Amino acid sequence: MAVKIALAGNPNCGKTTLFNALTGSNQFVGNWPGVTVEKKEGKLKGHKDVVIMDLPGIYSLSPYTLEEVVARNYLIAERPDAILNIVDGTNIERNLYLSTQLMELGIPVIMAVNMMDVVEKSGEKIHTDKLSKKLGCEVVEISALKGTGIKEAAEKAVKLAESRKAAVVAHEFSKEAEDIIAEVEGKIKGMPEEQKRFFAIKLLEKDDKINEMMTNVPDVSAEIKEMEDKFDDDTESVITNERYVYISSIIGDCVTKNTKEKLTTSDRIDRIVTNRWAALPIFALVMFIVYYVSVTTVGALLTDWTNDTLFAEWIIPGAQSFFEGIGCADWLTGLIVDGVISGVGAVLGFVPQMLVLFIFLAFLESCGYMARVAFIMDRIFRKFGLSGKSFIPMLIGSGCGVPGIMASRTIENDRDRKMTIMTTTFVPCGAKLPIIAMIAGAFFDNSGWVATSCYFVGIAAIICSGIILKKTKMFAGDPAPFVMELPAYHWPTVSNVLRSMWERGWSFIKKAGTIILLSTIVLWFLMSFGWESGSFGMVEELNNSILASIGSAIAWIFTPLGWTNAGEGWKMAVAAITGLIAKENVVATFGMLYGFGEVAEDGAEIWGNLAAAMTPIAAYGFLVFNLLCAPCFAAMGAIKREMNNAKWFWFAIGYQCGLAYVVSLCIYQIGTLITTGTFGIGTVVAFLLVIGFLYLLFRPYKESSSLKVDAKKVVSAK
Amino acid sequence: MMPLTMVKTGEENTIKKVGGKEETRRFLENLGFVVGGVVTVVSEIGGNMIVNVKDSRVAIGKDMANKIMV
Repeated sequence: MAVKIALAGNPNCGKTTLFNALTGSNQFVGNWPGVTVEKKEGKLKGHKDVVIMDLPGIYSLSPYTLEEVVARNYLIAERPDAILNIVDGTNIERNLYLSTQLMELGIPVIMAVNMMDVVEKSGEKIHTDKLSKKLGCEVVEISALKGTGIKEAAEKAVKLAESRKAAVVAHEFSKEAEDIIAEVEGKIKGMPEEQKRFFAIKLLEKDDKINEMMTNVPDVSAEIKEMEDKFDDDTESVITNERYVYISSIIGDCVTKNTKEKLTTSDRIDRIVTNRWAALPIFALVMFIVYYVSVTTVGALLTDWTNDTLFAEWIIPGAQSFFEGIGCADWLTGLIVDGVISGVGAVLGFVPQMLVLFIFLAFLESCGYMARVAFIMDRIFRKFGLSGKSFIPMLIGSGCGVPGIMASRTIENDRDRKMTIMTTTFVPCGAKLPIIAMIAGAFFDNSGWVATSCYFVGIAAIICSGIILKKTKMFAGDPAPFVMELPAYHWPTVSNVLRSMWERGWSFIKKAGTIILLSTIVLWFLMSFGWESGSFGMVEELNNSILASIGSAIAWIFTPLGWTNAGEGWKMAVAAITGLIAKENVVATFGMLYGFGEVAEDGAEIWGNLAAAMTPIAAYGFLVFNLLCAPCFAAMGAIKREMNNAKWFWFAIGYQCGLAYVVSLCIYQIGTLITTGTFGIGTVVAFLLVIGFLYLLFRPYKESSSLKVDAKKVVSAK
Repeated sequence: MMPLTMVKTGEENTIKKVGGKEETRRFLENLGFVVGGVVTVVSEIGGNMIVNVKDSRVAIGKDMANKIMV
């Protein structure tokens, strides 16, 4: 029979490392039903019938965070055959707090004390034999990073699960508390003896979510009152205290602390890295190195090689001659080589650069620096209604929006998370860079300020959206207080960094293989077929294609943005629409629309055509529209998954597109007024929009006194 | 009694009271901020602080730190 073992432990205790080590690549990742908490399941290496369930990292079995509720419901309802409780040996006291709660569930528990290598190095000693006796479960020493002891721990867990021997609660609270708990236990009917203690304590703690898990709920208000009177505190605090008192009472026996060193290495690093004056410069330096290496040096080298050598010299000509050799129809060769291979190839060209960026971010994340970044940035982000934790998704979003949006999961507060999801994709991602390069080249003489200004537009959009949204009813309310555990600094293992890099990179590659592949085929069809001289078929003249009809039908929407010149507004409209599918499409679409089968990444061939079709101001508006509007299909899919709610999904997409349209309109209309003096209805509308925007930005709100600086930036960005 | 924000870095202090909204207080208690526990401030930026409690490092915002009395 299949055996189920649940991995439970605090966040940052090495649970995921252990899970990866135990299951290898044999994993299934999904979501817990109805929530966006990740659910990881895997088969134990060498045991086909042993399923390991990686529960989310939690501090207790209380109902205050989504992770706690998910983990608790699983443990109570599914009742795994055993719990493997991972405990961080370097801060064992806090970790044992959860352990005492796990023991009460009546499920066999085995404890694995992790990071034993670090503990030994620091001169501490953990007496696992004594710990085992005091807590009533078997205790093994492991190091998940080094891989020591994990096999033994797994074997013991399997054996324990097969024996189905329920844990006996060995820890004890004070006499008064135990008496009251016993009274409540006596009132619970129809439940196995070993599970009663857990429910009794939860009832005493007035945990209202526990009622749903019980068939009949006894009235324990008398006992609650008794306890509150006796201890002069609310029941939940009493029980929390009792747990910590018990742990403190055994910790002296079980752990020999090294009293010589007061400051750990981690603390000493933190003294410098999170120092009041040094924190921001150090952070800026780290970020500079990360982007310098991944974008300009190593990354650019790899990307150029992929684009110019791998695809341009090997794959595309190779495919061309292959299809010609086998006598394939011309149109099919065109579709496969010009459409599919060039389209997908243009996207895959980003992969190396992105992977380099993700290696860096994964390293910063697993060594513990990223948590400090959230702390450092919190003070700044709080000013415009976001949490410091929003910064990590945005950092990842500068590579690709999809993993960026997924990284927003670490934000517990619902409002903060939703706002982060909505604003993360304003950061120019890798796929938007060719659009920037194209516009800068065609209109602004390759000036560097175009790219720089794009990042400022993105940042300004995030800041303004934060302020505006925070003032709406949906997001009103006090920001959640910042509380976050910081893991100790440590060297990550190569396999963990690579795994994390691959998980993020893969979501990008998958998008290239599915959505972009499909959209290039559809686009090719729309462009190649249409009504010509009264019948439907392949068209000679692009203006007769289905795509041209669609483009012309919607082009009026974009007329106020100045995408009109020379009767070619529909091409801009089509390019913007394909940009909604994937931003990588925009440059390629222009290439196809102007009749160049294959264009360079920055579309150098079509600069002349573009410059003839739009004024520079309209072009900059076009660029901004593409930066701010809803990201690609893949990112929209990610938004939908993470929002987990259709209404919120459409609100996010609508907000992004609306903002993009309004800003782009204002840039064109006001810019045109300044450069040419043209004044019309559009200009009036633009000014009204600016006034409305400023009103939303500055309308009274108790936190808005310090925001004047940001607004100036917005106006100048326009 | 004084709020944690007034404490000098590196000094050991005993928690006397944890205030604030019920939910946050519970979360802090679960993290080890219990009355009688020892906290040490590791570093501080503009009121936000990193503190050492029960051998683990926790970053807390200024508003929370103000509600922990030592």
